[in-house]
Amino acid sequence: MDRIKVTFTLNGKETSVMTKPFSRLLDMLRDDLHLTGTKEGCSVGECGACTVIIDGKAVTSCMVPAGSVEGRNVITIEGVGTPDKLDPIQEAVLKHHALQCGYCTPGFIMSAKALLDENPHCTKEEIRKQISGNLCRCTGYEQLVEAIYEAAQVLLEEGKTKIG
Amino acid sequence: MFTYEFCHAKSIEDVCRFRKEYGSKGCLVAGGTDVMVQIKEKSRRWAEIECMMDLTSLDKELRYIREEGDCVKVGALSTHTDIAESEIIKKYAPFFGQASDSVGSPQIRNRGTIGGSICNASPAADPLTPLVALEANVEIAGLNGTREVPLVDLYVGRGKLGLGEDEFVTAFIFKKPEEGSLMYFQKLGRRKALAISRLNTSALLHLDAEGKIDKARIAPGCIFATPMRVVEAEEILLGKVPSEELFEEAGREVSRIMIEKTGYRWSTEYKQPAAEAVVSAALCNACGIEMA
Repeated sequence: MDRIKVTFTLNGKETSVMTKPFSRLLDMLRDDLHLTGTKEGCSVGECGACTVIIDGKAVTSCMVPAGSVEGRNVITIEGVGTPDKLDPIQEAVLKHHALQCGYCTPGFIMSAKALLDENPHCTKEEIRKQISGNLCRCTGYEQLVEAIYEAAQVLLEEGKTKIG
Repeated sequence: MFTYEFCHAKSIEDVCRFRKEYGSKGCLVAGGTDVMVQIKEKSRRWAEIECMMDLTSLDKELRYIREEGDCVKVGALSTHTDIAESEIIKKYAPFFGQASDSVGSPQIRNRGTIGGSICNASPAADPLTPLVALEANVEIAGLNGTREVPLVDLYVGRGKLGLGEDEFVTAFIFKKPEEGSLMYFQKLGRRKALAISRLNTSALLHLDAEGKIDKARIAPGCIFATPMRVVEAEEILLGKVPSEELFEEAGREVSRIMIEKTGYRWSTEYKQPAAEAVVSAALCNACGIEMA
């Protein structure tokens, strides 16, 4: 079966990749592009480990046909922060010990980022709703809610400084 | 693992041609939140799959929510998030937004579409019951143009749609309910997020100047093979003043009809009291009556 070509913006860069026609976005990211930060958990959209951002919205990449991101803007965990300068969400997750095994962490960070990019003025209740599609089986959720809320405050501060 | 080719829809006509050419060997995909799981789990439904056609490339044509005179029209590619956040839906059919907001998880609502949800034809689809209560029509496109049919007539059996070989669903249309209409979507699931409804009900009521019910629509989900209103229960309410006792009576009528239509099953012992409670809760919540 011939491979198909998918052209899209990945972590800010125009990207073209050849993939199997029946690949999911998750397969294309991990197997063709070797971006293994996006994790496969349940494969049926229940756990959120494979969450990425498409056109500003958090989605589970196990449910997205690879070809359907043609022309779209995709952000994965590899596009969040750099090794030298972590994203405020990543900093806060470390500070609040909001992970143990870490398998679910990229998915949580992508869900959080989609929310904070859209609305850093969010409440803890909105954060809980936003991460309700992500499962963590070792740490629990309170530290994550605290971390994401703190990251939002950092972003709001940074925003003020930039404007000032 | 199923393997198949992939293509993008270039126009509405293109989709119709694909439907006609591929038949059961073709798979239309919008958000993919149902289809991709069914394919992953090797559902028999897709055993013959040869080619998948992506519809999200038709966003410009089929993703919209707009007022058209005394109607509201929702394009089939509108996501559950689009519907939950729409000011038009909040104004005219808040329970439709409420139901859309209770689908799956944020990730699924961002991806899943109303067209996909309805065409997957599960009796447990959350946004289905408000559309049934609103007496919505579906717009269907085929090679010879479009036609409109009542949503309840689209279903011809569990998981089966009455579509021609070249047809697909492009939009949902409903009349704006009379001003002052009361609406509520009630859901019973196993977990708050990601729960597929065990039972749900959409209720729409209108009261006359004396506070008596002059319009009632009760659309329970998950309990019939195909979606429908329970007219017998609606008739009990007409001409009466809302009360918890009255709504419990309507709930009992719904469960009576459920048993009449589907027979007494292993699950009936659970579903009978649960359906009664969900229906009366939907009606009470629509009227703002606090339950004892």
